[in-house]
Amino acid sequence: MDASTIVCKCEEINIAEIELAIKSGANTFDDIKRLTRCGMGPCQAKICTNLVRQIISESLEVPLSEIRPPRLRMPLKPTRISALVGNEVSSSVISVFSESAPQEDDENHG
Amino acid sequence: METDLLIIGGGPAGLHAAYVAASNGIKTIVVDESFSLGGQLRQQTQRLTNLPKQFDSQIGITLMQTLVERLTDLDVTILSKHTMIGTYKDGRIGVSNGQRTIPISAEKVIVTTGAAEEAFVFPGWTLPGVMTIGAAQIVMNREHVIPGKNAIIIGSNDFALEVGKQLIENGVSLQGVIENEDQLIGCKEETIQFLKEAGVPIYQNSYVTQASGAGEVEKVIINHNGSEKEMEIDLVCIGKGLTPILEPFEILSCDFAYEKDLGGWLPQYSTLMETSTASIYVAGNAAGITNLGAILLTAEIAAISVAESLGRQCKEEATEKRELLWQELYHLESADSKAKFHGRIKLMREFQDNVDIQLSKLFNMSVGGV
Amino acid sequence: MAKQYDVVVIGSGVVGSSIAFHLSEGGQKEILVIDKDYPLSGTSGSTQAWVWVHNKTPSWYGELSMLSAELYPFLERKIGDVEYKRTGGIAPFFNESDRESALRLAEKQAEVGIEIDVLTRDQVLEKEPALSPNIAGATFSKIDGNVNPFRLVELYIRAAKKNRVQFSFYNPVIDIKRDKGIFEITTKKEVFRAKQLVLAAGPWTKGVGKLLGVDIPVKQVRGQILVTEPLAPLIKHTIGGMRQADNGEVLIGYSKEEVGYDRRTTLDVIQDTAKMAVEYLPDLAKANIVRCFAGVRVIPNDGQPILGEIPTIDNAYVAVMHSGITLSPLVGTVMTELLIQGETSIDCDKLRLDRFSEFKSYV
Repeated sequence: MDASTIVCKCEEINIAEIELAIKSGANTFDDIKRLTRCGMGPCQAKICTNLVRQIISESLEVPLSEIRPPRLRMPLKPTRISALVGNEVSSSVISVFSESAPQEDDENHG
Repeated sequence: METDLLIIGGGPAGLHAAYVAASNGIKTIVVDESFSLGGQLRQQTQRLTNLPKQFDSQIGITLMQTLVERLTDLDVTILSKHTMIGTYKDGRIGVSNGQRTIPISAEKVIVTTGAAEEAFVFPGWTLPGVMTIGAAQIVMNREHVIPGKNAIIIGSNDFALEVGKQLIENGVSLQGVIENEDQLIGCKEETIQFLKEAGVPIYQNSYVTQASGAGEVEKVIINHNGSEKEMEIDLVCIGKGLTPILEPFEILSCDFAYEKDLGGWLPQYSTLMETSTASIYVAGNAAGITNLGAILLTAEIAAISVAESLGRQCKEEATEKRELLWQELYHLESADSKAKFHGRIKLMREFQDNVDIQLSKLFNMSVGGV
Repeated sequence: MAKQYDVVVIGSGVVGSSIAFHLSEGGQKEILVIDKDYPLSGTSGSTQAWVWVHNKTPSWYGELSMLSAELYPFLERKIGDVEYKRTGGIAPFFNESDRESALRLAEKQAEVGIEIDVLTRDQVLEKEPALSPNIAGATFSKIDGNVNPFRLVELYIRAAKKNRVQFSFYNPVIDIKRDKGIFEITTKKEVFRAKQLVLAAGPWTKGVGKLLGVDIPVKQVRGQILVTEPLAPLIKHTIGGMRQADNGEVLIGYSKEEVGYDRRTTLDVIQDTAKMAVEYLPDLAKANIVRCFAGVRVIPNDGQPILGEIPTIDNAYVAVMHSGITLSPLVGTVMTELLIQGETSIDCDKLRLDRFSEFKSYV
């Protein structure tokens, strides 16, 4: 098939890009996802999961039964932030500013 | 909110499980993301055969009404337009209606989120006018809109052929069924006969090489036995089959297994329909793509297991009921596909070391003998 | 006979790949990088990827971060466009009473050359009109920014491969032995030998250290991040807690949970983070969250990087730190100096493994 055919509609990733990621050593959907953004869009790989698994299976000559779907994440459906804000208090969320004030602890996501 | 049983998905499996559970005095909540219940039954105008003994043969829409109406006097709370979006650390499930997120604390959960249609890729598949066969059926039977004038169907399973028949009945010109294999996948003689009489060409050993058009599908090129054929088409329906929806199970930390004949990856489960996560059960197409009879029976098995574990049914009674249900399921499912039932047994065997002695007899028979 | 390398690096994340690339620039060494999975499958692929400097304390740590941030433009000339953007960083505070500690921070950091402005509410809103009017003020520095972590690791590896560095992926290390001064590294796929060994496996360094007989005093800390649908430009700066990527997605989240290697997300933290998001940027209330992800970050027990020789084992080195993205170019540079010349151009004594009183080695 034409290698420019789109596989991931959301991020507009085509067959060639997925094959390139496989060629550079990625063997799993998740690893291909991080290289190409395939499956990272609004549908969260709902459409392309088995298409990509098929390409991996053909490229690496591995049966489909050995190729797992990508890691699936919350929220299971796009959800407005206003609908998420609730009364659940987890206390794990911290402010970057207040963290720099005490001298012994200093972190960020970098 | 608190409940004994939370059912995720208000399709046939969810509704039937709710009925069986609530009839056993179990307080039940059913969550469904749509505005109305029934899932895929809502657009199914075809006559359903292979239903469990307790149901008469009928079309999907009337079955849906039956399943919903039976719940009226029971302790069942319906949350329509609510979607499960995730879980909390303590195991509660969060459902959202788009305005807010509600944590639900349930003793037991049955996940009946069904299946998704498989996509199929060819150049031009992202053009408007290309849709899944299920989407075409929804457009026709729920929205009462004719999805196109000149159509082809890619794939030839029973469901694809059935919707092909409905397309013709709705005045669409069906210009071909494109099948990659050298024979039709579907086996319902009645439907195949209808298509033949309507003069629908069946292209075996064929595939779509390209769909094209300015902003929507206008033209399709197919490869038929090695030679190309151009067709003026404004509707391409993809009927490549179904695959179980996995997302809720991953969020619930359930283990997966692969069974080709059940639609690919799916949650592992026991003969109780309980997944690897305790108190989380599965039923319906989420437990393996199958016919409506088997969908309803898996739901009943799950509901009985829930009733047993909540102390509403004694072990002996529940075991006996399950055995009868499994036997009925075996007959209903094998009528369509023996491979499917074998896949199911393999899945349960690999997951469950100590299959009930009685059930194992049944399984031995079916694995070895049929 | 197992293939012998001059250097084997365990871990192909933002730290290990940087060390391998910088080492390969000299061209004299045969280098192998081993990763238990594929690059970006661990911590480096699940980060907001801030290059964050200004409120790293104590100030010597801030200084290291600043030096590393300064290296990014040079790094891009060598390995290509990693989408490094020096956006400037804003860390808002909500109480006027916090202004004093903000001023103290600015004063401290000025001593090492980090310029921080302590902004009033109006100054913050002028810089970022979308921020909440409830903010009392913020610390701000031009030095902060962000990078695309996927491009960063990918381009490190590509450049290293060009310099003939070997990589072995999907290949967990099972055992490490020493034989006449040479490390013998048994992996799932094969056995490798190395003259010098670098542990750079992020949160998994703890386990790899155990194979070598040393306790690397680090904790695994989960962070959960929310990603919105692509939005029209909303924020220009890297804000303590969130940033907007080139494609319009806003990445939100700053949480810490000690739950081992568990990478699941939870609605508890997602909802709390959503609350934080609208407290900072009220407009976000209307945005859809498309996905959330969690990363296992590594935090040394005292919070500061661990970098340098493993004191009890000749030719064994460790490089493990929380702010791997920020420190990556500097760590690659410094470790290269250490492995080749035996000393570093900047003083790294504070980062040594044996600073921990609980440091244990069984060798």
